[in-house]
Amino acid sequence: MGIGPSTKETTLHHFRDPLLDVVSQDDDIDLLGVVVVGTPQDNVSKYFVGQRLAQWMESMRADGVIISVDSWGNSHVDYANTIEEIGKKNIPVVGLSFIGNQAKFVVSNKYMDTIVDFNKSKKGIETEVVGENNVNRLDSKKALAFLKLKMQKKED
Amino acid sequence: MDGEKLLRRLVIKCFHINKVEFGSKNSINDNKLTIDRNVLGELVESEDLIDRIEIDIIKPRQHDKFVNSIMDIIPISTKVLGRIGDGVTHTLTGVYVMLTGIDAEGKQMAEFGSSEGILEEQMVFGRAGTPSKEDYIIHVDVTLRAGIPFERKLPLAAHTVCDKFIQDFREILREIDGRSASESHEYYDKMRPGKKKVVIVKQIAGQGAMSDNIILADDPSGFAGGKSIIDIGNVPMILSPNEYRDGALRAMT
Repeated sequence: MGIGPSTKETTLHHFRDPLLDVVSQDDDIDLLGVVVVGTPQDNVSKYFVGQRLAQWMESMRADGVIISVDSWGNSHVDYANTIEEIGKKNIPVVGLSFIGNQAKFVVSNKYMDTIVDFNKSKKGIETEVVGENNVNRLDSKKALAFLKLKMQKKED
Repeated sequence: MDGEKLLRRLVIKCFHINKVEFGSKNSINDNKLTIDRNVLGELVESEDLIDRIEIDIIKPRQHDKFVNSIMDIIPISTKVLGRIGDGVTHTLTGVYVMLTGIDAEGKQMAEFGSSEGILEEQMVFGRAGTPSKEDYIIHVDVTLRAGIPFERKLPLAAHTVCDKFIQDFREILREIDGRSASESHEYYDKMRPGKKKVVIVKQIAGQGAMSDNIILADDPSGFAGGKSIIDIGNVPMILSPNEYRDGALRAMT
């Protein structure tokens, strides 16, 4: 549960995704791929998909991960868990999520220190207006800049 | 280890539409898209769960219209050569499909907040995922049968029937001479040896009635032939940047 009208990424959004544009156009980044992961119902499965995802990242020898989510509430459990699993493998990870005033993380961990909040509504809420709280180019650039810093810091 | 290594090329050719109207036959000609309303009967017949379908052409800047909850905005695209992620794709610009849904008892097709209302107030235009104010919108409004518990098969039926409607235009679009495209974009999946290796992860929804995603359908941003993220157990699935960019995901959320 947890995709509201304003955070929902439409099929058109995926087709013209600004996050992909920004990351793939950066000459300093070797973009390995786009991984999609779902949100199973029960907690055991939530942990399972998060762990599998983190193992993929390690096996791909990823230097860094940007993880974006277009839902909140219960799905932030999946999100926090997946970020933690990636973080525990010592892979720098940056997030993109709607937070605003309404969607403060229900669970959190130390790897969630760089999350770009893409709320665009004045009140910081799920406005039920389609397209309003969506990732744009600026959010994507911020996320990539954070990730570059984190990857650099790890090297130093 | 320097220099880029090109893996494969994707060409997306855009065909701009500057007029959409009803007519006696589905067609795309001289930047004009014509919709035959008579196809609606067949579409309704084809899905048990559908009570009725209405199609409306929303003209640019004419958004003072009540709409049911917006289930998706879908580009009209088709593969001409190759599979999703390489080869050639044709897509229409200037027109997008908007799917809305309700059931015959008045329940909106939405689970976590719904977006019914005056279109102008219910959508921010000109975002990556929404049409601009200058675009035409083909509004497909589906009414599902009453008295059926709200579960996954209802939104699936709405998406299925909407996809069947779009498919006719994909077939037409596939046959259009690529040289008449308004724009053509080239994208390469590439390796950049020595650079920082980064992965984009998209957490997509895969549970409940309203939250499913279809991956790698037969046509870009399509439905038929794809795999549901729920059916594959929500496990991580890797797409190449070009597969993702070529409409590998259909968001049924």
